[in-house]
Amino acid sequence: MSREKGQNKQNRKSEIKTKRKFTIRMQKKLLVLFGLFLLVFIGLGARLFWIGREKGEQYSRQVLSQQRYDSITLPFRRGDILDCNGTTLAVSEKVYNLVIDANVMLSKDTYLEPTLEALGNCFPQLDMAAVRKYITEHPGSRYYVPLKRLTYMEISAFTALQNNTEKDDEGNPGPGNYIRGVWFEEEYRRTYPNGSLASDVIGFTTSDGTGMYGLEEYYNDVLNGTTGREYGYLNGDSTLERTTKPAVDGYTLVSTLDINIQSIAERYLKEYNDEYTDRYTEGPGARNMAVIVMEVNTGNVLAMASYPNFDLNSPYDLSAYYSQEEIDNMRETDIDAYYDALNGIWRNFCISDTYEPGSTFKPFTVAMGLETGKLNKNDTFLCEGKLTVVEGEKPIRCHNSVGDGTVSLEKAIATSCNVALMRMALRIGADTFAEYQRNFNFGLRTNIDLAGETRTAELVHSASSLRTTELATGSFGQGFNVTMIQMITGFCSLINGGYYYEPHLVKQICTTNGAVVENIEPRVLRQTISESTSDLIREYCVAVCDPDYPGATGKKARPAGYVIGGKTGTAETLPRGNGEYVVSFIGFAPANDPQIAIYVVLDRPNMKDQSTGTAQAAIIARNILTEVLPYEGIFMTEELSDTEQRELEEKKLEDTRRYTEGLAQDGTNVTPGENDPTVDMPAPWMNLERDPATGYLIDPVTHELLDPDTGYPVESNYDPIQ
Amino acid sequence: MVKKKRRQGQTEYFFDYSLLFIVLFLLGFGLVMLYSTSSYEAAQKYGSSTYYLMKQLRATILGLAGMMIVANIPYHFWERFYGFGYLISVVLLALIIPFGYESGGAKRWFRIAGLSIQPSEIAKLCMILFLAVVICKMGRSIRSWKGFAALMMLPMPIVVMVWKITSNLSSAIIILGIAALMVFVASPDYKKFVLLGLAGVAGVALIVFVIVNMANADGLNYRGERVLAWLNPEAYVSDTGYQTLQALYAIGSGGIWGKGLGQSMQKLGFIPEAQNDMIFSIICEELGLFGAVAIILMFVMLIWRLMVIANNAPDLFGALLVVGVMGHMAIQVILNIAVVTNTIPNTGISLPFISYGGTAVLFQLAEIGLVLNVAKRIQLKEV
Repeated sequence: MSREKGQNKQNRKSEIKTKRKFTIRMQKKLLVLFGLFLLVFIGLGARLFWIGREKGEQYSRQVLSQQRYDSITLPFRRGDILDCNGTTLAVSEKVYNLVIDANVMLSKDTYLEPTLEALGNCFPQLDMAAVRKYITEHPGSRYYVPLKRLTYMEISAFTALQNNTEKDDEGNPGPGNYIRGVWFEEEYRRTYPNGSLASDVIGFTTSDGTGMYGLEEYYNDVLNGTTGREYGYLNGDSTLERTTKPAVDGYTLVSTLDINIQSIAERYLKEYNDEYTDRYTEGPGARNMAVIVMEVNTGNVLAMASYPNFDLNSPYDLSAYYSQEEIDNMRETDIDAYYDALNGIWRNFCISDTYEPGSTFKPFTVAMGLETGKLNKNDTFLCEGKLTVVEGEKPIRCHNSVGDGTVSLEKAIATSCNVALMRMALRIGADTFAEYQRNFNFGLRTNIDLAGETRTAELVHSASSLRTTELATGSFGQGFNVTMIQMITGFCSLINGGYYYEPHLVKQICTTNGAVVENIEPRVLRQTISESTSDLIREYCVAVCDPDYPGATGKKARPAGYVIGGKTGTAETLPRGNGEYVVSFIGFAPANDPQIAIYVVLDRPNMKDQSTGTAQAAIIARNILTEVLPYEGIFMTEELSDTEQRELEEKKLEDTRRYTEGLAQDGTNVTPGENDPTVDMPAPWMNLERDPATGYLIDPVTHELLDPDTGYPVESNYDPIQ
Repeated sequence: MVKKKRRQGQTEYFFDYSLLFIVLFLLGFGLVMLYSTSSYEAAQKYGSSTYYLMKQLRATILGLAGMMIVANIPYHFWERFYGFGYLISVVLLALIIPFGYESGGAKRWFRIAGLSIQPSEIAKLCMILFLAVVICKMGRSIRSWKGFAALMMLPMPIVVMVWKITSNLSSAIIILGIAALMVFVASPDYKKFVLLGLAGVAGVALIVFVIVNMANADGLNYRGERVLAWLNPEAYVSDTGYQTLQALYAIGSGGIWGKGLGQSMQKLGFIPEAQNDMIFSIICEELGLFGAVAIILMFVMLIWRLMVIANNAPDLFGALLVVGVMGHMAIQVILNIAVVTNTIPNTGISLPFISYGGTAVLFQLAEIGLVLNVAKRIQLKEV
C-alpha cells in the first residue's frame, strides 16, 4: 500500500497530523469486526429460518384468521307504490346514517379538531358536546351513530369538504386531508308524499322495512327485493378476495287508486266530519265513516277512504285523536288500550269492520227472487205498516208506520218498504236466500289484495240457522254482518249484468325502471244473476234517486245533471231500539250504463236522531259524484235547475252537457283525451330526465341510462322477470 | 487488491462501481418494496397509492445527487469541520426543545420549508467525522486506559442528548455503537473490549431481570413494557406487543418462497406503518426466507465492500471514516432485523436504503459519497 502524490499535494497543517497509516493490525481488527458482523447475520438468518419452521404454520393461520371476512349488507330499495296515473303514493329514498370511527379520528392529532369542526359546521343538529364526550370516553370505538336517516342534501356539504383534498391556491392542503373517521352508512327510508291520503289502504312500513296493513303488508314480498352482500373469502392461493352480490331492488306497484278521486272522497268525508264533530255528543262526526269508489266493470277500486285515518309518515302519532295526557296515561297504565287506539286508526274500516247493511241489501233480495223466478216483475205486495212473521211474536215494523199500501217491486226498492221485502223473502225461502247470499259472496272473503280483510263466515246465517224471523229481517239487511267491500263488489255485479269481479287495488307490478313484470287483469269470479235481472235491478235503483218518484229515499244523492241509481240504508245496530244506526248510501252512475259505483257508510253518525243520517250519506255520495263523474269523462245528460247552475259555478265545475251532444247516442259517455286513464298514458319512465349527450333517459335511482322505447337500461341484457 | 484497469498517470481515477451497484440495487429494491408495502395505506389515508413512494423517490434522487457531489469533494476537506460538526450536533439537538416538531408522540424533527429533518441523523455523520479526526490526532495515546476512556467519553454528550431530548434510544445506541466500533478498530488490543462487551451484556441482563421481576407493570415506562412484550409478545397483543407480533405473523406466514410480490396480507392495516421500521417483515412475507436471505447477503456484500475500501484507504483518517460508515450500516441493519424477528425488544430502527424516511436516505447516501471519495484516493499498486 503506497501513498505518495495524493497526500503530498495536500500540505495543510491539520492533515500532517492525520497522515498516519491504517496499520496492518487495524486491518486485521476490521476483518475480525467483519467476521463478528457475519456471525450476527448468520444468527439472524437462523432466527428467520427458525421462525418460519417452528411458527410458520401457526402464524399463517393467525394471518388468515385476522382477515375480515365479515360481509357488508347492501340494502335493497323497496319498490314504490304509484297510483293509476303514476303519482307516487309511497317511495323509498336513500338516507344516510352518520358513523363516527373514533379510533381513526384519534389516530393522528391533526385529525380530531378539523373533523369535529367540519361535523359541527355541516350538521347543526348534531350535539357536538355529546360527540366530543363520546369520543374522549370511547377512544377505541369504531361505530358510533349520532345521527340517523340524513338525506343526501343534508350530508352533501360534509362530503364535499371530505372530498376536497386538493391544495388550494396558496398551497394549503385541502380540509379533506384532515377529516378522518367519518363515514356514511346507506339505507332506505320509506316516505309517503301524500301524508294521510289513503292511509288505511297503503299501510306503512316498520323501520326494518316490513309492511304493516294495506298494500304494504299484502304486497310485502313483492315490494321487498333481495338484500345484497359484499363478502370476503380466501381463494385457492389463500389470498383474500372480495365479492359483491348486488342487492336486487323490489318491484313497484301501480295501484288502481286514483289520488284525485281519493282526495275528493277524503275531502267530503272530512267536510262531513268537521260539520258533525261534537254535534250531538262530544266526539267525531261518526264512529267510523268510509267511502269506496269502484269501477263497475272491472272491480278496480278507485278510492277507498275511511276515517279516522293517520299520517303514514308518523303512524304512531295519536295526537289527532287523543290529548298528550291521555296518550301518556294509556302508555303507562294500560298498554293494551294504547295499542287498541293505534289499531283503531290503522285498521281499514272498509275491509276489516263488519256491520249490518240495512236497506242497501234490498236490491239483492229482489234480485234473488227475480233470478229464481219466485218473484215476477209485475208482482205487488201489500204493506200495512207492520208484519207479524211468526205467530205470537212482536210484529216487525216498516219505517212507514201507516203502511205503503200496494207496492210494486220498483216501489218496494224506491221507498224502501220493509214489509214488502219481508213478504218477498218469505216467498223466496231460506234455502234460496242463503244460497244467493253465498253467491253474492256474503260470508266469504272477497280476496281483495289488502291485508286485514275480515272473515264473515260466522256472521251470515246458513240455510239451517235461518229461521223465519231471521229470513224476514235478512230481506232488508238486518240480522247478518257484511263488510263494505263485500257490499259494493256484490252491488256492482247486480248492476253490471251479473258479473262478479274480484275487487282489487293493484293493476300492475313493474321493475324500478318501469318494465312490466305482471299485469293484473280484472277477474270475473262468477255470474251472480242474469243480464235481464240486472237490468230490472238497475231500473229499480234508478227510481230510488229519481227526484220525481214519490217517496223515493235517495233523491238527495243525485248529482246535478246526471241520472244515477242507488239505494239508501238505515240499519239499526244491536241492541235494537237504542237509537243507534249505521246509515249508508250505495249508488252507481251513469244510470243507463253504470261505470262507477260508490258506497258511503256512516257508522253511528253524531246526531240526535241517527236514522236521519242516511240523508247525510246520500249528500256525501252526491258531492263526490259531482266531481268524480266529469273527471272520469262521464258527462251530464239532464237539464240543470237554477240552483244547480249556481252550485256548479260555486264549485268551479263546468256544465258538461255540451260534450255529450256531439257523441253517438249509444251512451258511451267517454271522450278520449283529458283525464281518461285508459287512453295512452305515457310510459312511466318517459318523464325522467334525458341525458343531453346520448338522448337516453337517466334512471333517477341508479343513474343508468335507459332506452326510451323499452325502459330497460342500455347496454345490459336486462331481464325484467328474474 | 482488486484488479483494475489503470490509465497512465491517472492513479486517482479508481471508482468503486461495485459499491455503487450494491447501493443502487438496494435503493431500487427498497423503492419497489416500499411501494408494495405502503400503497394500501397510502391509498386509504391520502387517496393516492404512490404517496409514500413519490416522497421517498424525491428524497432518493436528491440523495443520489448529494452523494455524487460528496464523492467528488476530497475527504480531507471535511477534516477541518470536525469540531464544528460536533458543535452543530449539540446545538441542533438543543434546538429541538423549543422548535422541534412533534409527530407520533415524539419530538424528533425540524420542519424547514416542508421538509422534516432529523438532527440525530446529522449527529451520526458528525460523530463519524469527529471521532476519525480525534483518533488520528491522539496517535499512540489511544493505547492507554486514559486515552481509551477519554475517547469513549467524548461521544457521550451527544448520545445522552439524542436519548433524552429526542427520546430516541435507538439512535443513541447507534451513535454509541459507531463510536465503540471505531475505537475498537483503531486501538490495538482486545482485552478492554472483551471486558466492555461482557460488562455491557451483564448490564443489559440485569436491567431485563429487574424489569421482569417488577411485580407492578404500571410503574414501568414504555421501554420497560417493550422489554416485557419482547419476552412474551402474545401477552401484550393489545398494545405494546401488537406490532412485534404482527411482524412475526408476517415472517412466519411467508414460508420459504413467500406469497409473491404485492401479496402481503399483513400490510393491509395489520402492521401499522409497515413501510417504516417493519418493512423487513413484509419482505419476508412477500419474498419469503429466500428474499430475506438475499437482502441480508446484499447488506453483507455492502459491509464487505466497505471493509475492503477501509483496508485500502490511503491513510488512517480515510480508513476510519469508512469504518464509521460501515459500523453505522452494520449496526442499523442488524438491529432492524433483530427487532423485526423479536430477537431484541422493539425499538424504532429503520433498514438503511429500504425503509421509508427522507432524512435517513439523504444522510446514508452522503456517507456512501464520502466512502466513494475515499475509494477514489486508493492508489493502485504498480503491477
